[in-house]
Amino acid sequence: MEKISQSVVKKDHAPKVSGRSIYVSDYPSEGVLCGKLLHAKVARAKVLGVEVPELPEGYFYVDAKDVPGDNNVNIVLDDTPVYCRETVEYIGEPIAMICGPDPKVVEQLRDACKVNYEELEPVLDLRAAQEKFFDYNFGHGDVEKAFAEADKVYEEEFETGYQEQAYLETQGMMAEPEEGGRMFVHGSAQCAYYIHGAVMRALGCGPTGVHILQDVTGGGFGGKEAFPSILGCQVAVAAHKCKKPVRCVFDRREDMEYTSKRHPSLCRYKVAVKDGKVTAMDIDVKFNAGAYSTLSAVVLQRGIIAAPGIYNVPNIRVHGWAVKTNTSPCGAYRGFGAPQTFFAVEMMMDHIARDLGVDSLAFKEAHLVKQGDTTSTCGKYHFPVPIPAMIEEIDKACDYRKKRAEYAKPQTGRYRRGIGMSMYFHGAGFTGSGERDLIKAVAKLRKYKDGTVEVLASNGEIGQGLRTTFPKIVAHELNLPLDKVYYNHPDTARVPDSGPTVASRSLMVVGELLRRAAIKLREQWVDGEEQEVEERFKEPDFLIPFYIDKFEGDAYPTYAWSVNAIELEIDTYTGVAKVLGAYGSFDVGTPIDYNIVMGQMEGGFLQGIGYASIEKMDYDAKGRIRNNSFSDYLIPTTKDVPNLKCMLHVEKYPNGPYGAKGAGELPLVGAPGAYLEAVEQALGGVTLNHAPFTAEDTLAVITKEAI
Amino acid sequence: MVNGYTAASLQEALEIRAAHDVVPYAGGTDLMVENRQGVEYLFLNKVPELRKITVDDEYVRIGAAVTFTEALADPNVPQLMKEAVSRIAAPAIRNAGTFGGNLGNGSAKADSVLIEFVADAKLRLVSKKGERIVDVDKFYLGRKKLDLASDELIAEVLLPKKGLAQYSYEKVGGRNALAISRVSFAGVFATENGKITNVAAAFGAVADTVLRYKDIEATLIGKTVDEAKAMKKDYLGAYAERMVLTRGRVSAEYRKNVCMNLLNDFLTKFGI
Repeated sequence: MEKISQSVVKKDHAPKVSGRSIYVSDYPSEGVLCGKLLHAKVARAKVLGVEVPELPEGYFYVDAKDVPGDNNVNIVLDDTPVYCRETVEYIGEPIAMICGPDPKVVEQLRDACKVNYEELEPVLDLRAAQEKFFDYNFGHGDVEKAFAEADKVYEEEFETGYQEQAYLETQGMMAEPEEGGRMFVHGSAQCAYYIHGAVMRALGCGPTGVHILQDVTGGGFGGKEAFPSILGCQVAVAAHKCKKPVRCVFDRREDMEYTSKRHPSLCRYKVAVKDGKVTAMDIDVKFNAGAYSTLSAVVLQRGIIAAPGIYNVPNIRVHGWAVKTNTSPCGAYRGFGAPQTFFAVEMMMDHIARDLGVDSLAFKEAHLVKQGDTTSTCGKYHFPVPIPAMIEEIDKACDYRKKRAEYAKPQTGRYRRGIGMSMYFHGAGFTGSGERDLIKAVAKLRKYKDGTVEVLASNGEIGQGLRTTFPKIVAHELNLPLDKVYYNHPDTARVPDSGPTVASRSLMVVGELLRRAAIKLREQWVDGEEQEVEERFKEPDFLIPFYIDKFEGDAYPTYAWSVNAIELEIDTYTGVAKVLGAYGSFDVGTPIDYNIVMGQMEGGFLQGIGYASIEKMDYDAKGRIRNNSFSDYLIPTTKDVPNLKCMLHVEKYPNGPYGAKGAGELPLVGAPGAYLEAVEQALGGVTLNHAPFTAEDTLAVITKEAI
Repeated sequence: MVNGYTAASLQEALEIRAAHDVVPYAGGTDLMVENRQGVEYLFLNKVPELRKITVDDEYVRIGAAVTFTEALADPNVPQLMKEAVSRIAAPAIRNAGTFGGNLGNGSAKADSVLIEFVADAKLRLVSKKGERIVDVDKFYLGRKKLDLASDELIAEVLLPKKGLAQYSYEKVGGRNALAISRVSFAGVFATENGKITNVAAAFGAVADTVLRYKDIEATLIGKTVDEAKAMKKDYLGAYAERMVLTRGRVSAEYRKNVCMNLLNDFLTKFGI
């Protein structure tokens, strides 16, 4: 193992495990007003008025009329209001905030508010929804010709459901007016500068009128990419009106019901096969964006770029659309649109293989992309594709091929076994030219007189280890002990904008800037002096420029790769699936800290297995999400997949620090494909088309097919 | 602030129970989550009389404040009960959760209560005025509906010592730990001189209370296993007809399917 990969104790380990870390809800309450949101109770309605009870002194009612700047939250588009406009568009939409010193009184006042609605017909069903927020088309080759010449054409539909991030700490933000009129906003978040831009706009002030601090954050998984911008604006507007600090922390039910989740999807695949090979794919990807567009544009982009999987298909046509429904806006969640389409394409390939009478693994292997091949967007796989070697690693770890053949034989008895495999990539970093055109990351190092070095960047520690791995890189280059280099939670008043904490980009992109900055500092180092160095993002030379209007070029500079296998046993009396083993080979380039990366891989893989199996969330006929607690929305425990084996396969990326590339999202993405393929096999070769696939779904198939 | 009374003896607990409007609190694993406002608790976890497991000629007597972990360690507690209790939630919950609390919460999903139903257990209820012994199915009337007077406390679960050796137990939870039962099943079987003497089947988490149909069971009592086997189709049919299940976290149809599969498996296991 390389020195940089050797594990260290995480810098935030001791305060976190000893309970000394200060989260946003831990700041003392003296002088701080508690804010609670008045949420819409109907999915779509005109708000005729709100009858607000008489407020005791020191209590405030805050709504859109109190927004000093623009009542639109800046995310990708600006359609999300800070507080609702004339209508509410989903159950839970914030209408107003009640603020006051006593949380119980605030809650009573909030509950006493009577909202008069003129109800309108909501659109809830993804199939029925037609109002497009985003509509993309791309492709290459001659799809029509390929279909005309095909031996056989396959058509199938695949559906996936919501997934809740289920971070330990719920959403929470706090705003404090400072002397001189500056607004200080801090809380649980991933992207301090996103909030900075959003709050500036809501308050109608310049860049120095606000500053944002990321507090210690109890997990994000994407759920704190955009949502804190909305909540940040709400508390900032409230603090502006009340002229006092205002804190709003969601309770768990509020958080599960009303904050962003993974987009439910409906994918239609039409595939042409000639001489046993896939010659064309015509793909329609439809995502349920919810009531406002928030991050749906970028989630959809990543989803459709991955839609043909990691297979070399000469003719491709992809249509992607994100539609509006009157449900909670969906947003970022680890994998960001790709888990949906990778699930669909992996199942599609599996089903075609079965129809052709060949094994799914052999069929997939025959179509694998390799270095130098064209990507779905006519970019290039510039670096080696290690999938064949990773398949062998998995085969060795679990005897995949043998078991796959064994379980394909007819099975009898109560318990039946199956094993399945999926293979996929995760595009490392922002999609397209985002790094070059939008983010333009800047990172700095400040060396103090005593020889300690501070990392100045805006990426948030959300459990993925940045407070440890950034300093590790810098200490390595400066040849300093790790305790001489530190990275605090970012405050936009004192750190440059190195971009958001998203897209598995922080370590690969910002880590590399820091490595270069450290080299620069090493060259200029003068003992006893305060020094500062800066590095700016530079697009790698090898990239084929990406054009988002055409979806053409390199969508990603490089890819993290993975192969997953899941072996399970189904109880045909109850439908319950017992995971006998989950095996993942992950190529995230050089691990900058082995334990941190393995923690990411294991946690993400388990999250993916939850997404595939038990994590079911749905809304009722009125558009209300009913399973809004941890007893109704179950996530897997360590007891559910005791045999979880993760392995690293290192294919270095020359432009990442020491060869590192994106890691965080990769492990979640492929689980549904492997899991469902295993369920199909255990049930004797049925065809399944949706995830999660629950015990109830399984028993329904067993009953219907008389298995 | 939590308001409440801590009793050091059963006598003291009963005095408080009679004098005040209190919620009996043993392990608190349900009550802490409920976090009811404006109520007073009677803390029972330090009442020695409620913390014992004793054995007499007929029963294993499990005190209401005995924790699941304690029961798991006790050699007198029947294996069937241990199997059910060992799958409750997770170690921390089992360390605090109690038999009395599992009953008092009044849920048909309570894992220890299912065993009490299938085993024809009795409960000893006490008050300042005296005590009474009731059958568990006469006590447990429906969701949150218990035959417990406002001055009474659950003192003991009286679990028959004999007849629980041949059993089936199944818990279907949403996951392998920290999971509320979605369907639970317990069956107890016994024969004497080649004739069936007991074929009890209880279904948990599928309706407002634990379900058991003694009249259907009675049709197999006194029959040989072979005779019972010949009657099996009608027997299962009788269950299928009677079992009207509610939907919950899973559909009624799923619950029924699972119940019938597990009942069938139970009968098959004992040759029927």
